[in-house]
Amino acid sequence: MSVEEHHGEPGERTQETHVQLPAPTFWPMIFAFGVTLLLAGLVTFWAVSLIGFIIVLRAVWGWWHTVIPHEEHEYVAIEPEHRPAPILVEYRSVVRLTVGEEGHRAHLPVEVHPYTAGAVGGLVGGAAMAILACLYGLVREHSIWYPINLLAGVILPGMGNATAEQLRQFNAGVFGAALIGHICISILVGIVYAAIMPMFPKYAALWAGILVPLFWTGLTYPLIGILNPAMGEHISWPWFVVCQLAFGLCGGYVIARSTNIRTFQSKAFVERAGLEFPGSHPEKEPQ
Amino acid sequence: MASIDYPLERPAVSLEKGFAQHLYEWVATVDHKKLGLMYVVSALLFFVIAGLMAFVIRLQLMFPNGHVVGPDTFNRLFTMHGTTMVFLVGMPLVAGFANYLVPLMIGARDMAFPRLNAFGFWIFLFGGFLLYYSYIGGSGLYGAGSAPDVGWFANAPLTEKAFSRGHSTDYWALGILVSGVGSIASAINVIATAFSLRCPGMTLSRMPLFVWVMVVDSWLILVALPPLTAAQIMLMLDRYLGANFFNTQQGGSAVLWQHFFWIFGHPEVYILIFPAFAILSEVIPVFSRKPLFGRAAMVGAVVAIGFISLGVWAHHMFAVGMSSWSNTFFAGSSMLVGIPTGLKIFNWTATMYGGKLRLQTPLLYCCAFLFQFLVAGLTGIMLAVAPFDWQLHDSYFLIAHFHYTLMGGLVMGIFAGIYYWFPKAIGKMYNEKLGKWQFWLMIIGFNLTFLPQHIAGMLGMPRRIYTYAPGRGWELWNLLSSLGAMVQFVAVACLVWNLVHSALRGEPAGDDPWDGWTLEWATTSPPPEYNFEKLPVVRSSRPLWDMKHPHDPDWKYE
Repeated sequence: MSVEEHHGEPGERTQETHVQLPAPTFWPMIFAFGVTLLLAGLVTFWAVSLIGFIIVLRAVWGWWHTVIPHEEHEYVAIEPEHRPAPILVEYRSVVRLTVGEEGHRAHLPVEVHPYTAGAVGGLVGGAAMAILACLYGLVREHSIWYPINLLAGVILPGMGNATAEQLRQFNAGVFGAALIGHICISILVGIVYAAIMPMFPKYAALWAGILVPLFWTGLTYPLIGILNPAMGEHISWPWFVVCQLAFGLCGGYVIARSTNIRTFQSKAFVERAGLEFPGSHPEKEPQ
Repeated sequence: MASIDYPLERPAVSLEKGFAQHLYEWVATVDHKKLGLMYVVSALLFFVIAGLMAFVIRLQLMFPNGHVVGPDTFNRLFTMHGTTMVFLVGMPLVAGFANYLVPLMIGARDMAFPRLNAFGFWIFLFGGFLLYYSYIGGSGLYGAGSAPDVGWFANAPLTEKAFSRGHSTDYWALGILVSGVGSIASAINVIATAFSLRCPGMTLSRMPLFVWVMVVDSWLILVALPPLTAAQIMLMLDRYLGANFFNTQQGGSAVLWQHFFWIFGHPEVYILIFPAFAILSEVIPVFSRKPLFGRAAMVGAVVAIGFISLGVWAHHMFAVGMSSWSNTFFAGSSMLVGIPTGLKIFNWTATMYGGKLRLQTPLLYCCAFLFQFLVAGLTGIMLAVAPFDWQLHDSYFLIAHFHYTLMGGLVMGIFAGIYYWFPKAIGKMYNEKLGKWQFWLMIIGFNLTFLPQHIAGMLGMPRRIYTYAPGRGWELWNLLSSLGAMVQFVAVACLVWNLVHSALRGEPAGDDPWDGWTLEWATTSPPPEYNFEKLPVVRSSRPLWDMKHPHDPDWKYE
């Protein structure tokens, strides 16, 4: 037989009348039965193992002779009545996506704000927040140190035991901890803002300036007692919301004014990952 | 192409052969398709048996202070249920699907070692019989029977002679050891077949994802099963020859058994779930009319899961008192496996996204898999956190988690595969309406059974308890679970009826009822013994697509 006769398109007919296949044999079954009996004798009776051993020997001998010196084969007739139906050609064309095609890609930002803008925006928002918080301290508690000491409670758990009078006093160490904590958190939140603002489908300014601060307040409300017991005890929620809004509006404004930079998102994921996929290579003839 | 036409009507299978000749044909067969069907049918029979055991377990726990069965019987029931489902249902399903489909999908005439293939099936079946013979001969040939009652992972030192009299534990060890030989034989065969019998043009990058997953699965079997076999031999040495590997009273280590068992046991979970992955990777594209999204990444993910799954076993052992470094390592590695698994979930979903979905039974089961396996993955991540695991270890929360994995994942995937390839294997269409009834009953029954078990577990209900006192808040959840089991019972009955009735009286399916793209749909339903008249040449990962769309074939783009 030629190679051409051996191989063809899927479902293709042959001129041959028979196909050679391995001949059926029951020796593997007998061998398996013998092995099982051999082991079953351990939990039943030694004679069972003995019978199993004899069956194994006979099965090995029988199996051996199905392959040595020549492997036994049978010729199976190709029956025309059992041929598969021809494969029907489908002429309907299929639309294939081209890489990066508009309207057929994930809604991920093709342009983002630089992280530096996020950091600067975070600092500006943090400053606005701090000013309002200090104003609150001055108006309600007659001390700008009151909100600063409360904020330090995130880092210094001991502040949870401080009295209202102690919270009104200046303490350099506590001030330093609050300042560092506030700056770090402001920068981090600013960077997160810069990353997620381009992902909002619409009204980014509304989201960043108002809705996200409100969501954040909602998230903080049940957790404040764990995160900062001191603040949880002394907090004024209306002022907290106002401070959050100040952060969102000021920080968001600074970030929104920055110059956007393009990302790899303008390319398909598979292309960025270097994967092989339909449409990634020019048409070529099969090898 | 030659000019011989295909027949419009095929002659029915000859009934002139006598029973003995039919029996010989099946007993002596080395045909991968017959063996594959025998694996699947055997697994389904064991599935029904183990399912009935679960049903009795649920009846026992339906109400507080239940007395449906005695405590000893209850112990045997959950041991045999778990052992059967894992070793006599899951493992033969792996072998069965791989046997039937791998040669057809790669354009081969048979498996690489057909006689070894036959041996693998028979030794699995006899191993199963040996295990169930324990009901008669558990205390020795002359004693009253008692099935194993040490749980499906048979923790030491419970399995030592001092605590487990008679032979029931020996039957557990020997039955699984014997059937494990079949799994090894099948795994060797799948790997050899996939790497040496692919038709011309079928490079590894064009190999169907089903075959890829089965190759990785077989490789996992080869690596993971020997430690269990070794441990079982050591256990037998303990019990028969006075060795003390796991005998804590003589300086042995019970924790050693756990390491041996779980270094097999956790990869085993992936060994069992991989066939479902393989089936979804074939069914979802065909029923979404889109190529699989991220094919190369899917192959990478399954290989990654294969590797990572070998390094997570001790998350089953957080409660034994390992060092904090060990706990941290295994918690981390367990979470790591979620990354490639999540990638697969995303890619299946992305394949369906924007596709022209045909919501027939196979795809419905794939959708169920995606939701339920996601729940299983999330509770798995929760249990991978060691302190969380300490709280809920060996509780019904864990039971719910792994049933969402294996029942909500594996079984749903297998059902999808059964409905998808039933027309190919039998040549008849199943009843779609009954299939959908079965699907909805199964989904309702499954979730009604196992969702409440999360809550029962969090309320402190431990696994394996024979009964419970009222007033602990567990009554409602157990009642719901048991009602769900009844619904599942009806669903499985629908499946059995559908398969049997359709095989006998179903409409002819045609060779390619789903408009498929892989090679098995290019041949007759059911395929002839030789699979293909001419071994095919392929040019892309969707050879039938190329044939059906000669003006727009895939090979232009791959």
